[in-house]
Amino acid sequence: MLKVDHASVFFAARDGRTVHALDRVSFDIPDEGFVVALGASGCGKSTLLNAIAGFLPLSEGSITLNGRPVTGPGADRGVVFQKDALLPWKSVADNVALGLKFAGVGRRERQERVEDLLQLVGLADFGKAAPYELSGGMRQRVGIARALATDPAILLMDEPFGALDSLTREHMQELLISVWSRTAKKVFFITHSIEEALLLGTQVLVMSPRPGRVVRRFDVDFVRRFVEGGDARPIKTSPEFAELREEIRAILHEGENLRSAA
Amino acid sequence: MSEIIHAGELVGDNRAAPVAKVRLVKMADFGVGDKPTLAISLVTAVVILAAWWLVSRLGVVPHLFLPRPDEVLRQVGNIYRDGYAGASLADHVSASLFRIVVAALIAIAAGIPLGLLMGLNRWAKGVLDTPIEFYWPLPPLSYLPLMIIWLGIGETSKITLLVLAMFAPICLSAQAGVRSLPLERVNAARALGASRLQLFFHIVMPSALPEILTGIRIALGVGWGTLVAAELIASTRGIGYMIMSASQFLATDVVFVGIGIIAICAFAFGALVRAAEALLVPWKGKL
Repeated sequence: MLKVDHASVFFAARDGRTVHALDRVSFDIPDEGFVVALGASGCGKSTLLNAIAGFLPLSEGSITLNGRPVTGPGADRGVVFQKDALLPWKSVADNVALGLKFAGVGRRERQERVEDLLQLVGLADFGKAAPYELSGGMRQRVGIARALATDPAILLMDEPFGALDSLTREHMQELLISVWSRTAKKVFFITHSIEEALLLGTQVLVMSPRPGRVVRRFDVDFVRRFVEGGDARPIKTSPEFAELREEIRAILHEGENLRSAA
Repeated sequence: MSEIIHAGELVGDNRAAPVAKVRLVKMADFGVGDKPTLAISLVTAVVILAAWWLVSRLGVVPHLFLPRPDEVLRQVGNIYRDGYAGASLADHVSASLFRIVVAALIAIAAGIPLGLLMGLNRWAKGVLDTPIEFYWPLPPLSYLPLMIIWLGIGETSKITLLVLAMFAPICLSAQAGVRSLPLERVNAARALGASRLQLFFHIVMPSALPEILTGIRIALGVGWGTLVAAELIASTRGIGYMIMSASQFLATDVVFVGIGIIAICAFAFGALVRAAEALLVPWKGKL
């Protein structure tokens, strides 16, 4: 279980003022949980992810993964970045194998594991390709495979599909859900798309800026239907989905109005 | 409806006229873009040679100042056969190449690690910035006398002068290579469990490589520029020496030969680094 307990982050802004980026955020991600942080830019969702990844220390509060406190980055948390952050001088297969190489896994075992992972994300034939020869969606698949390679306890995904066109995005959502249901990983996922949050998450944290905090949380189960049925469209057009979408939209807009009024 | 009819017409057109007839269009460029310039450059070279030949032929400029192209060419043959100023042409060229290559190797061996260190460590940067920023803008000719006084008139002072001139661009580019490293790339590697050493060899070094190669290319340019100055110091060999000694006898044609050789060597070195870039960093500028 990943446990975030009263996590607060204060930054020093350039002009010397203190920015309250994250305000006492608490939540748990149970095993096989898929928690989505949803909010407009500046709501602290990326700050939260960076803290869980160990890139950023907390000002107050604590984060523990399976009982161990998070003190820095590590291979027990796989990160998928918004921009893929692949190494252009390495082939797709070598990019996926990177974490295994760092861990000192032998060549043969690396190869087998990489083949399985590329199969899993549907890139079995692209191991020898260079990252810059792939489309944006394919590169994100490589990013997912790379993050899974070290068999982390949790996947941290920072708006991974934000830069993709809507059709590719839907394919990637399907792919992610199939990967999630097959690997049974915990996932922490960031997005500013309400639909994406509702479709993918088992829990949605609605966040609001200044200071960045969780204003509402929803337990949802559309993703279970997605896993069973495999088609997103009837889910997205269902009345419950639409109702919840509008409710969350209203919450986000309220936060926006409060901000412009202030 | 209209679309269907239109498509039908297109099929008819295709049968009547093969694809070769179509007019290829593309977005209007701005600036030079990727339009070819080789033919223009070649014609320019021919025009310059013709103008040179014409000017010297017509005697517009005294012959002492500007020999004819064919005389320069004949002089190449003469020097190749008889040597010049007490050494064969091969001796002159190899003496210069030796100095440049040795100096480049030393500058690379010192410049890359120190530059990387300056990009990674605050103390290294703080300490090394002072001497490098002080001496780097100086023209090598200005500290040449010091080299002679301190190191004598042998190879050491010449090579040291070249090393100093070539070290700074390599060192500074290695440092810039580290600084341009995107934080996301570092974080990605950290999240995959990279140790500090693995981070350095798998992420930092390859990321800095394109900038380092650019630095080496600049350094070689600076090196050839400094060579003539280095060979001013009591030399008996070298292309720079050949030029200087020819100028004392107003042997303009020999000066031209020397300049031509340096141009060819510098061009060859540049081509070599570009080939290394194509081989080592085909991903440069991508992703």
